[in-house]
Amino acid sequence: MTSEAEKILIVDDDRDFVEALSAFLEAHNYVVLKAHDGREGLKVAKMQRPDLIIMDIIMNERTEGFFTVQEIRRTVELKTVPIFILSSLYSKVTDFGIPPNSSWLAHDEFLPKPVNMPDLLEKVQRRMEEHHRNPETPVGRKAET
Amino acid sequence: MKIRKLPKDKLDFFASVVQQFGEVHAPVEQDGKYVFKRLSRWSEARLDYPRTILPPKKYFFPPRETLFQFREGEGYLPCTEGLDKRAILFGVHACDIYALNILDQVFSGKYDDPYYQARRKNVAIIGIDCWPDEHCFCRSMRADFVDHGFDLFLGELGDHYLTFVGTALGDDMVLATGPLFQDVSPEDIDEYKRRSSSKRQGFKLDIEIRDLPEIFEMEYRSEIWDELGDKCLSCGSCSMVCPTCYCYDVVDDTQLGSREGRRNRSWDSCLFATHALVAGGENFRKSRASRIKYRFYHKQRGFVAEYGRPSCVGCGRCISVCPVKIDITEVINKLRGVQNAPCR
Repeated sequence: MTSEAEKILIVDDDRDFVEALSAFLEAHNYVVLKAHDGREGLKVAKMQRPDLIIMDIIMNERTEGFFTVQEIRRTVELKTVPIFILSSLYSKVTDFGIPPNSSWLAHDEFLPKPVNMPDLLEKVQRRMEEHHRNPETPVGRKAET
Repeated sequence: MKIRKLPKDKLDFFASVVQQFGEVHAPVEQDGKYVFKRLSRWSEARLDYPRTILPPKKYFFPPRETLFQFREGEGYLPCTEGLDKRAILFGVHACDIYALNILDQVFSGKYDDPYYQARRKNVAIIGIDCWPDEHCFCRSMRADFVDHGFDLFLGELGDHYLTFVGTALGDDMVLATGPLFQDVSPEDIDEYKRRSSSKRQGFKLDIEIRDLPEIFEMEYRSEIWDELGDKCLSCGSCSMVCPTCYCYDVVDDTQLGSREGRRNRSWDSCLFATHALVAGGENFRKSRASRIKYRFYHKQRGFVAEYGRPSCVGCGRCISVCPVKIDITEVINKLRGVQNAPCR
């Protein structure tokens, strides 16, 4: 793997899921960084500057991912990093769904769990290409309030 | 006013969604006390707190700030950084909202303070019901209820919050969360009224304020002020934690030989020995007794003449922090010639 390999940070408290997704992404030549809660995710993101973040929502607490996404968006150096949300929340809480186009969450993609791996890979590759073509492109619908 | 209800078990989702309107700050436990602080996760919030060390005033009128810089050849350069930062204060008690409404009168109108006003415009307030502890006397000061000064107010309703929508921004917050908020039934209103009535019975401190200005006029030469002066340490803690104290000092920060500098302001206290010190070395309030007397007169007498009500809201912070246990309710009752009595 070359030093230019793109880095993807996975933030998820399900360690088995993180390992499985890591193996899949590494097989496609991505460097994978791992974190198992929001705080660790933010710390790793600040230190390692990933090219893309895959974020779970329900971790130590039910809304941890929401707060972490906002924290990332308010961190100057991480303001434009693409964030993919991977969460089962949509199907679990009937009166609080997150439609994929939720205007209040500063994410780039929303993918429900269980995740469709080829679909995720395609979206990751497309987003990486876009981001590299124009790294300053604002991401997230509400990147800064 | 629009009224809806929010299930308590969905409050975390609500807080997540309102982050789009600004950083969420709420009371957080710190060394056994509570402080308003930015949340990095919802579980940090402690909404059943008795009172925070510093009131929410600190967000609008910070303890220290630079007003402007000055530089030779460039003149005055206002320091506006951070004034437009959007934030949400989540879980503000009624007395603290009342205090902000009082500060609004001070910092606007006769003398506009653009720094305070800019922050006030950009920080949203979500109020929350509370239960009085042994230091609260906001009911006596008529500050246990607010009808404005908040974007949303969450009233206690058992498993739900009865949510009062105070502004268009508050309404946007409710609308942004979609189906989380529900319609209110007549039974909910009855339950809220029952709980409000029960809260009124929960106050342990009570003072009568209606004729306080007259009492203060009559007791101007009371020996109580000398007794208080002997006790008071002039530490200024009561002023520092007061949600309506607004005295500040302005100091230019320059260095010898420098052609530039900053004008800074920081909180001041009328209890400090230098508060009434003027050029020429004259000090109008040299003694501790005169300074603590001034504080009482300004809050309970002078403010009534100027703004129509005392500036004290009964939050109880001054009672809880005073190192020599000076209790404002005891002082007022003593001036009246009555003992502290349980609330009626």
